[in-house]
Amino acid sequence: MVETSYIPKDLEEALRLRKETGAKPIAGGTDLMVAHRRGTGVVPKFPWPVMIVSQLAVFKGIRLEDGEVSIGAGCTCHEIEVSELVPWPVRMAASLMGAQSLRNLATIGGNVCNASPKADLPVPLLMLDARLELASVSGIRQISLNDFLVGPKKTALRDDELLMRVIIPAVNPAFTYLWYRKIGTRRANAISKLSLCAAITIDTEGMVTDFRSASGAAGPRIARNRMVEEMLIGIPITDIEERLPAFLDAYDGILAPQAMPEYRRSSTRRMLEHFLRTAVTRPAHGIIE
Amino acid sequence: MRETPIGTPIRRLDAISKASGTQMYLSDYRFDGMLYSRMVRSTVARGRIAAINMPPLPDGYYFITHKDIPEGGVNELYMIKKDYRCFAEGDVRYIGETIGLLVGPDRGVLLDLEQGIVIEYEEGVPSISIEEGLACKGGPFVGDRNLFCDFTIDKGNIDEVLAKAYRVVEDEINTGWQEHVHLETNAAVAEKEGDKFIINISCQCPFYVRKSVAGLMNRPFEDIIVRQTTTGGAFGGKEHFPDILAGPLLVAVNKIGKPIQLVFDRHEDGAFSVKRHPSRTRFKTALDKDGNILGMDIDVVYNAGAYESCSYVVLQRGVFHAAGVYTIPVTRVRGRAVATNTFPSDAFRGFGAPQTLFAIEVHMCHLANELGIDPLELKKRYFNKKGDITVTNGHINDTVVLSEMLQQVMEASGYAQKAATYKPGSGKGIGISFYNHGGAFTGNGEQMIIKAKAKLHRRADGIVAILVGSTEMGQGLQTALAKIVARVLDVDQDRVVYDNPDTSCVADSGPTVASRSTMIVGKLLERAALEMKERWEEPGEIITQAEYQHPEGYPWDQSTFQGDAYITYGWGVCAVEVEVDPLTREVITKGVWSSHDVGVPIDELVVKGQIHGGIIQSLGYAAMEKLENTAKKGFKQVGLSDYIIPTSMDFPAQTATLVHNPYPYGPFGAKGMGELVFNGASAAFIDAVSRAVDTEIRSIPIPPETLTELMKHGA
Ligand SMILES: Cc1cc2nc3c(=O)[nH]c(=O)nc-3n(C[C@H](O)[C@H](O)[C@H](O)COP(=O)(O)OP(=O)(O)OC[C@H]3O[C@@H](n4cnc5c(N)ncnc54)[C@H](O)[C@@H]3O)c2cc1C
Repeated sequence: MVETSYIPKDLEEALRLRKETGAKPIAGGTDLMVAHRRGTGVVPKFPWPVMIVSQLAVFKGIRLEDGEVSIGAGCTCHEIEVSELVPWPVRMAASLMGAQSLRNLATIGGNVCNASPKADLPVPLLMLDARLELASVSGIRQISLNDFLVGPKKTALRDDELLMRVIIPAVNPAFTYLWYRKIGTRRANAISKLSLCAAITIDTEGMVTDFRSASGAAGPRIARNRMVEEMLIGIPITDIEERLPAFLDAYDGILAPQAMPEYRRSSTRRMLEHFLRTAVTRPAHGIIE
Repeated sequence: MRETPIGTPIRRLDAISKASGTQMYLSDYRFDGMLYSRMVRSTVARGRIAAINMPPLPDGYYFITHKDIPEGGVNELYMIKKDYRCFAEGDVRYIGETIGLLVGPDRGVLLDLEQGIVIEYEEGVPSISIEEGLACKGGPFVGDRNLFCDFTIDKGNIDEVLAKAYRVVEDEINTGWQEHVHLETNAAVAEKEGDKFIINISCQCPFYVRKSVAGLMNRPFEDIIVRQTTTGGAFGGKEHFPDILAGPLLVAVNKIGKPIQLVFDRHEDGAFSVKRHPSRTRFKTALDKDGNILGMDIDVVYNAGAYESCSYVVLQRGVFHAAGVYTIPVTRVRGRAVATNTFPSDAFRGFGAPQTLFAIEVHMCHLANELGIDPLELKKRYFNKKGDITVTNGHINDTVVLSEMLQQVMEASGYAQKAATYKPGSGKGIGISFYNHGGAFTGNGEQMIIKAKAKLHRRADGIVAILVGSTEMGQGLQTALAKIVARVLDVDQDRVVYDNPDTSCVADSGPTVASRSTMIVGKLLERAALEMKERWEEPGEIITQAEYQHPEGYPWDQSTFQGDAYITYGWGVCAVEVEVDPLTREVITKGVWSSHDVGVPIDELVVKGQIHGGIIQSLGYAAMEKLENTAKKGFKQVGLSDYIIPTSMDFPAQTATLVHNPYPYGPFGAKGMGELVFNGASAAFIDAVSRAVDTEIRSIPIPPETLTELMKHGA
């Protein structure tokens, strides 16, 4: 059992440590420290070396770059929640995580890299086609979040890599209607029982030009499927009702909840149905509740 | 003459230390040479221990088991029964049963040692649920029927009534396990002082701990001194359960000679501690053709877990409360406590009453549905009145003011209008429940078993010390008792002190349970204070004492359970309004209104604190506190992210009112109320949800996934 921990002073050292020792980064520690806790008065023990990265400025900052939103891997849920640069569903998801103290510590990098099927931020991020920037001593690469999330608690992160930032591409034209709903086990400090993020774009002719939806906690991976979304794209919004049953069945097909299947499936159905039917009525407000 | 009523709030005695964070709790104390300890527990629900393979113990580390109980000592913890073993010996009966105690200086090493122990079992077939216990799955392990107790009380002849009834409505209501989640986990430090043993412990009942463990050492009670440390919540979870810590610690200290600490982690406290009894209550209710209730045949079964502990007594309270606040002409109530291979069930706020009170309230709603009337209309017809005959053929001695309380709740909640406009299945609903709680020990327990004493000491410095074994655990008892004494003596509040009890210094005022402390111990202190007041002019120190006296004229026969099970009750009415989210089936509670009869509140703020907390706890019980148990793993929801208790965001601000209804034998007219406030909100909530979704609900808790299933099958 290795019990080494490092506090790198800059990115270069962090990447070198990562390469040479295989040290795992600890950001907020709200997943790692909890998973490896050993009780009162006993320090956590990790099966690999660890390095604390929360002090490194290079992981911080939310910026607009070429129309894309760049969120440093070390940004906390609180920072994301209050940033006006960040798209609404991501802010919403961040604002509903844990409680305030948790949101002050928990990072987007940790949430994404932990790859829990119940993690909240990956749901809107996946819907928004987010990309990740990964760095190692050999250089930098980008990968789509979709490719990064391999399975429950499994990512495409290589042993020598660190996540630098999350990039959210611009959406043009903007979504006409948006939906985000987290069903927690209670109203605060709750892990998701289910979540759903959805968006639809309707042009001036009333044609649906884009539609997306992603589900959290409804299977071993955050669920999204472009082919199913396309069932609703390119049709007049007024045809939604007619397409709805086939679409809902197809969407149901991409969910794979182990526990509470009836609840997770039927609630998802009702939420999507409600979102789409409300969109048909063309309400003035873009956020549907 | 003072003008302020006794109920006018004062600053709590413990307010500053707790709010400022300076208050020390058990895990804050350090003793010279103190060692730590860790329990080694059974990982199977039923079986024989074939072998315990120990890793090598480093110097200074010990593994304590039943073999370390000294000559003459017995491997039992003397609770109400003596069946609960200190250490498993030969067989194990539930996951989490104590097998041994690892002791040593470093908690990390203890953890590694625990993980290095390999225990081999010959596994048996466990029974977990009530049904499995009753069916003696795996063969009975208590008697030949797996029953700790089985008794029936009759009022009139129910068989005749059922036979001639116009119709009989059958029903079955179930409730689940509930975890106490006291903020402070279970914790104790045992040490030796001279030839006496000292147990510093977070607990409700220091004298219980002493009694429970003395037999392990074959010593008189006095050789064990128990000092209560400031207790961060208990809810019944620290009534008998501290014995489970104190026993092994005592055996270890006897062997090792150094102070030893045992503090549970939150996760341990959830997985390996006692819980509220799950229950199954069946009704056969006889109606005449006009819809009048002629009689009820009620069959109550509680899941007691692997040891009896106090289950018989818990069940008695459940049985005696089975008809709720209603006078039903003819009743039969049968009670059974079934043994299962689960962590023993034990005391929890309400002590058996909440389960049957929930059941009768829900059943009354179902009867009303059958009859096509508003549940409130049906319930009102059967309200207890003074002089009514109870299920134990005793009397209701209180002047019952439920109608006045109902009026308060109706006005505050707008019940009538809401009940009429929220159509069944509309997603909106309002519900209402009625409940009571018998004050103090059941029957003649106060007189025959407890025999409480209280002592007051005016010290040389003129300060008056309250010397009783009753404990503060956050409920406000120090404040209430000190207020009674200061008020009687007519001295400033800060001249009365009340420290955490030490069994070698204070009078045994009985356990801090059964909502008895203000009502019974407060009364004793009132009497001791009156005597002290008469002697006030004497120079020097004064000590006065009082002993419990049972009021005349309230007969009770403990062998037949006939008579006045309780001299008095606290009474409650609660209305809850909900909205069910049509998409997600989440239940949003829109309003909570209650009225309580606690006699006279000794401190209104303390009483309101109890009401708010008790009601939230009761709502959590019904709405979200799901706790499952499996034969392989034991309790499933053990951490605070899985065992879901409500936050302040989950329920709205409450409106709580009180009625003034002095109890003649209580101090300043006060009676018990700490448990009462837990006993009813769950039923009002379920009534509201049932109406909102137009589906009968027979089991709690109902998280949205359960509600979804119910609505699907109901539809
Ligand atoms: C009380 C509580 C409530 C919670 N509520 C929620 C909730 O509502 N919703 C939710 O989704 N989660 C919740 N969580 C889980 C957790 O807080 C989140 O997943 C959080 O975002 C993790 O971030 P962190 O910085 O603390 O991660 P850490 O624990 O520091 O790390 C998590 C994982 O990510 C890796 N990692 C971190 N940074 C990097 C990086 N830059 N590059 C590569 N790998 C990296 C770590 O090595 C580790 O494997 C809760 C946790 C707790 C304790």
